[in-house]
Amino acid sequence: MSKRALEAPAAPAPASLAEELPAGKAALQLAAIALSLFSFVLWPGLVNVYQISFVFFGLQYVVLASSWNIISGFTGYVSFGHVAFFGIGSYTTAILVAKHGWPWYLTLPLAGLLAVVWAAFIGFPCLRLKGPYFAISMMGLNEVLRVVALSWESLTGGGLGITMPNAENSVSTYYAGLAVAALTVAMCYAIAHSRFGLRLAAIREDETAAEAMGVPTTRYKMYAFMLSAFWPGVIGGIVAYKLLYIEPDSTFFIAITVNMITMAMLGGKGTVLGPVIGAAILYTAQELVWWYIPWLHLIAYGAFIILIVLFVPRGIMGYLIDRGWVAKGVIQ
Amino acid sequence: MRAEGAVAGEFILDIQAMTKRFGGVTAVNNCSIRVPRNIVAGLIGPNGSGKTTLFNLLTGLLRSDGGDYFYKGEPMVGLTPHEIFNRGISRTFQIIRVFREMTALENLVAVSRDGDLGGVRRRALELLDFVTLLRLKDEYAGNLSYGQQKLLEFVRALMSDPEVLLLDEPAAGVNRTLLNTLLDRIRQLRGQGKSILIVEHDMKVVMNHCEKIFVLDYGELIAEGLPEEIQRNEQVIEAYFGHK
Amino acid sequence: MAERTPGWVYAVYLALALAGAGLPLALAWEGFVGWLAQARSMTSLAVTLQVLASGILQGGLYAVIAMGLTMIFGVMRIINVAHGEFLMVGAYMAFVFFMMLLPEELHSLFTSNLGMAILGVGVFLLICLPLMFLFGMGVQRLLLNPVVGGPELTPLLITFGLSLILINTFISVFSSDFRAIPYMSGALVVGNLALGYPQVISVAVSAAVTGGVFGFLKFSRLGKAVRATAQNADVAMVCGVNVERIYLYTFGFGTALAATGGVLISIQLAFSPEIGGIYILRSFAIIILGGRGNYLGALAGGILLGVIEGFISFFVSQGSQLQELAAYTLLVFMLLVRPQGLLGGIADE
Repeated sequence: MSKRALEAPAAPAPASLAEELPAGKAALQLAAIALSLFSFVLWPGLVNVYQISFVFFGLQYVVLASSWNIISGFTGYVSFGHVAFFGIGSYTTAILVAKHGWPWYLTLPLAGLLAVVWAAFIGFPCLRLKGPYFAISMMGLNEVLRVVALSWESLTGGGLGITMPNAENSVSTYYAGLAVAALTVAMCYAIAHSRFGLRLAAIREDETAAEAMGVPTTRYKMYAFMLSAFWPGVIGGIVAYKLLYIEPDSTFFIAITVNMITMAMLGGKGTVLGPVIGAAILYTAQELVWWYIPWLHLIAYGAFIILIVLFVPRGIMGYLIDRGWVAKGVIQ
Repeated sequence: MRAEGAVAGEFILDIQAMTKRFGGVTAVNNCSIRVPRNIVAGLIGPNGSGKTTLFNLLTGLLRSDGGDYFYKGEPMVGLTPHEIFNRGISRTFQIIRVFREMTALENLVAVSRDGDLGGVRRRALELLDFVTLLRLKDEYAGNLSYGQQKLLEFVRALMSDPEVLLLDEPAAGVNRTLLNTLLDRIRQLRGQGKSILIVEHDMKVVMNHCEKIFVLDYGELIAEGLPEEIQRNEQVIEAYFGHK
Repeated sequence: MAERTPGWVYAVYLALALAGAGLPLALAWEGFVGWLAQARSMTSLAVTLQVLASGILQGGLYAVIAMGLTMIFGVMRIINVAHGEFLMVGAYMAFVFFMMLLPEELHSLFTSNLGMAILGVGVFLLICLPLMFLFGMGVQRLLLNPVVGGPELTPLLITFGLSLILINTFISVFSSDFRAIPYMSGALVVGNLALGYPQVISVAVSAAVTGGVFGFLKFSRLGKAVRATAQNADVAMVCGVNVERIYLYTFGFGTALAATGGVLISIQLAFSPEIGGIYILRSFAIIILGGRGNYLGALAGGILLGVIEGFISFFVSQGSQLQELAAYTLLVFMLLVRPQGLLGGIADE
């Protein structure tokens, strides 16, 4: 063995961390992404309003599950109140549109930003809580927001909620949702393929060791938390505008948190594709059951959550990894 | 006796009267150790004598209750663990702490310093190759054998090219062949000007490979010196075997 | 882990959290003082005492519910989100027993005769609690046993799934309408205090059950094993405790305690399949207030919360939302300031 390993590499090295894909395979991947984006872009031209909405709400869950995955899947801090960021975004947009007459699309950056500000504010003290305590604190803070939205009637309209002026919005919100979903997934991809993502995973695996090995854990957890709050805030704004009506109980709704968690778990948390796959499958299944056997819908969902957690805790991606069809590790 | 005017830099680590208490137990008691530059030094002592606690103090995982320590003449008490690491002090753990659900390669890349990713990857692969783990680079660290995990942790500590390496029981549970590889590597690092401090129970390893030995008992430094001096030291024998 | 936070940052957060928890209280205090200035008579003291007493009665109920939750959290480190639904099941068991199984002629017994009313609840608890104990053991055995000791997310989701199943099954069977059972009305009058019979009976049963739990944990062999497991499951196992069986019993006890709360709610309030949610977050606040696995803490926390809520709801209009706000901010505040609870809980690692 040589001393060379301790010296700077002499030969030029590949630019990316992941192994270079064979050109053919890379082109195939690119083509698949382009094709699916293309079909999503075409969708509204081919179908009716209901079907546009159907896909829109699926995209909403792609955003939510992927964002939750950043703090909880990659970093290992289980946010059991992640819908709070969605709610903040919803209220930001609704208030600005209904009361101040802003165009809806201009409110979106602010919706995301306010969610990030709230994340920074609560993350600072809460991210030092471990395990179940962090989960409970997130749940509690979401309830605080819900009650504040209920009580602060001058700003939020209280329990009556906020109604926005009528508008033809199904196509515009669809494209906005599609763009946000694409950006969210792209961001997750970038995180997973960077040292930042690896360090988040190191925090998940062993926070003390990560800190001792040079990872500024406090700062990184904060970054991850803030990144995981931004897109839920934006999509919250878009959903509020799409519905043209929001009220506290269905906005800061714990079931939305559970939806994103279950979707991420079904697909495989801690992977980029997992939450996307999970959102697509679970959302479709939920809508089908809801459509055909409404009374069974939530019972079946409860049972489904239990079955996933007990029998495929590492999700579909985990299964594929175990079978050797997908490479192991944070980077796929 | 310590010369107050010692040239900063003569000693890479200068630990001055550090103390750590857990409740009523004093794990490290007024401990002063000066580790010269470019050395393989051993830190020994009976179980519970405060060796690992001292490592945790040096790497900032524990906050000391008193005392100070200097690395290359700079005060280090009060820095966070990652800051201490980035100054050039790296370590391994007594109980293995690899990142289990990350591949061997990812374990190394995650702890690399900022900079060109390609170069980092190449260096990680070379380090893995060196400890014969290259073919397992894409395997989860948690799936490796105990000895392999130990080696992975060792090279993970080398990833950032540290000046000081603190090894907590590197030999425990590692088979002979791998151990010899490991000791070779430690000698090489010494040759490159690094300073290595080893906590170890395997006396053969300590006596044969360390140039200087520090002995802790009940958190206090009871002896320091060359291996042969330590072997003859009455106080050390007493600490290990009790009164005659 | 060495966390170094500037003191002033910490102080700012403390102040904000305190304000969140304190705002409703301050409003209550303002209402209280204003009202006192108006009243200025002996009755003001009496009413204060009345509110205090009602708060304590309510708090006793909270304590029983929270005690089950803290037992499960303490021993198994599981956050049981379905605890509120176990409570709801208890309430509906009472509903089925009193409204469906008992012939209608007997109803008057429980509405008119105090002795019979107490006896009725007692007998019913004797039937209901073993059933719920078995139910809890079944849940532990089938759903939670495989995941105890794993990451916290797993039991969180499993119990959430269970609560979805329970709520919606009960909605399918009983509809989501509010139900009530006919029970002793009227009040016990002590001096100037008027305490509703159902509340008094409820707090008496709570006290008995709480005392039973304390005695059991303190003196019985099994209770000691439960406490040992809560302290350190590995050590307990090495010392010959069958930890898996302890988990089984613990979950059974916790479920039975929740159901006790449900039965006590059923005799004083109307209930629907969705009432669990009202109690679950309050219970979290209480067990964090009291410290993980600290039963005395749960008792104190429950009564404290009951009294705080009593004052807020009496003296502040719009009180019900502020009550919730107080409970939740108290929860977050405790987590930030003293996650080990007021009286100190079992240490984590």
